[in-house]
Parts: sequence; structure tokens; C-alpha cells
Amino acid sequence: MTVQEIMERTGLKETGLAKAWIKDAVQIIRSSYPEHIKVDKQNIIDGEREYILPADMISLLSISVKDTTDKKYKKIRRISNDIVVKEDTDPE
Amino acid sequence: MSFNTDKNWMYSLSGRHIHLWQWTETAATDTVGSYRVKLPSEYYGKQLIYPNEDITSGLRVEYTAFSEPFISEALEDTTGRISATTIAFSDGGDTISDSGNGFVTAGFQTDDKIRIIGSASNDGDYTVDVAAGTLTIDSGSTTLETAGESITIYQIPKAVADASVDESSHINLNRMLSLAAVDYIRAQMKEATGDLQGKEYCMREFWKKVGDNESNKRNISMSFPASPFAIK
Repeated sequence: MTVQEIMERTGLKETGLAKAWIKDAVQIIRSSYPEHIKVDKQNIIDGEREYILPADMISLLSISVKDTTDKKYKKIRRISNDIVVKEDTDPE
Repeated sequence: MSFNTDKNWMYSLSGRHIHLWQWTETAATDTVGSYRVKLPSEYYGKQLIYPNEDITSGLRVEYTAFSEPFISEALEDTTGRISATTIAFSDGGDTISDSGNGFVTAGFQTDDKIRIIGSASNDGDYTVDVAAGTLTIDSGSTTLETAGESITIYQIPKAVADASVDESSHINLNRMLSLAAVDYIRAQMKEATGDLQGKEYCMREFWKKVGDNESNKRNISMSFPASPFAIK
């Protein structure tokens, strides 16, 4: 469906406002359902705990780590309770 | 060497960051060759440790994203698709050939964006020019692959940059969700005029269509045994 068709159906005259509200609708829909899924891969670094979530993420679906013995990405579990160790200055 | 990562690795979330942990229940270990060996030191017990190895592209995050809200043609029109064992790739060139000459009949057109899966070295997204037996990619190069493997090429929506979006651009949603977006805009317009009841009605219609779209993917039938004494 084109932006023009949406504007005609709603009676909206301003294209800029239509674009903004369409983006809002897309954001809300993708926030509620996995309608547009993306995958981001990052290197795991020895001794490094912190990795960044993708900047364009709306909702997280799963996190996996590569099993190098069989070359498969396997979904890992989230730790639900608060972890005692907040920083390890000697992780090796 | 990571193993059983579904059991030995865990994560927690902290703001915009993922914290990765490895779960160990061993004494100190080291890797000799490709074997993990226990060192003759004290027992550490169960503990969470920081990742203790480098893994290239080892972390995979799957998520929904706010990207490409506008595309150049309707989602329903991106129908080009071919699966064949007759597809080959040139060596360092820009051509993908099909000895079955099936690209045009499969629905591809010049300037389509395509995704290749199933190849040894050429999987990815490309924009192409189309002839019956040849796809010519607009930028980049291909790696030599002869025909034989089952390779699938399908069309994907071509994003329109935000600055170039105009009234002829399409919304990157299927028709049902596009209709939901219409209800969302109606709701915003009602709110702008102070018609809160109208807004609530339109938002109900919005969520109904979004829900319908999702349930359309899950055809679940439920049946119940009819009681012989049931009133009908």
C-alpha cells in the first residue's frame, strides 16, 4: 500500500505527518510481533563480558552462542537473578 | 573450543548491553591441542566466569528492528523466486548464470533486490539487472561456483531512503498490516481533534487487524466432543 493510498483512505493532507505516523505504526507493530526480524553477529572476546545490543533493536527475540565443536549457534538462557560479581578485574 | 553452549553459556541484560557468562563446574582447566584438561590445582566449584575464549562471530542476536519502513514496491509484488541446480557464479565477475534460462520466467526484473541462499560462497543480498539466463549484479563481485548445488534466489523488498520517501513509496508491511496502519493514523487524527472515543474505536480496529494478521499464520483448529444431552 502506498503512502498516497493511506493518505486518501484517512483524508490526511500532509505527507510529512503521514510519514511520521506510518513510522509510528510500523514501530508499534514490530514492537508487538516479530514481523521484521534481523540478525546481528559479534565476535566474542576472551575475558570480555560486555557486548552491545543492536542500535536499531525494537525487541529482543533470542541470543545464541556458536558451538565451535559442531559449528551451530545454540540459544542460551537468560540469568534471571541478580549476579553478585559486578566486575572482575582479573577474569583469566 | 566452545561446546554445549546452550548449557554452558548464559546472559544477562544491563541497559543497552548484553553480559555474557560461562557456567563452569570444574577445577582450573587449560586447553592442550584441542583437548580441555584439568589442572592439578584447587577445585573452584560452580561459578559464572567471563568468556574465556575468542569466537569469531560467536554471539548471535535475533531481534525485531525499526529499519526499512518504506520500500519501492508493494510487499505482495516481490514474487521473484527460483530454486535450481543449474545456477553458477562467475570468477571475480558480476554475473550469475542459469543454464535453464529461468530468471525472467521466475519473475525477476531489472533493478530488483535479491537474496541468494544455498551457495558455498555467494550468499548475500544484491541488486541486479536481469536477462533470461543471466543476473548481473550492480556492485561487488561473485566467487567462482559451478552449477550442481541447489541454490535459491528470491526477491526481497528494496528499501527507500528516508529522504527519498514520497507519496509513491510503499509501506514495508503486508496488506493486512497496512490496513492496520490506516486505522492507527485515523486514531491519531481523532486524537488531534479531541475525539477520544473515536480514537479508542480506531485503536481497537488497529489491534484487531494486527492480531488477525498474526493469527492468520497459526491455523489451529479446536474440536470438542458434543454431549448427547447438549441443548442446541
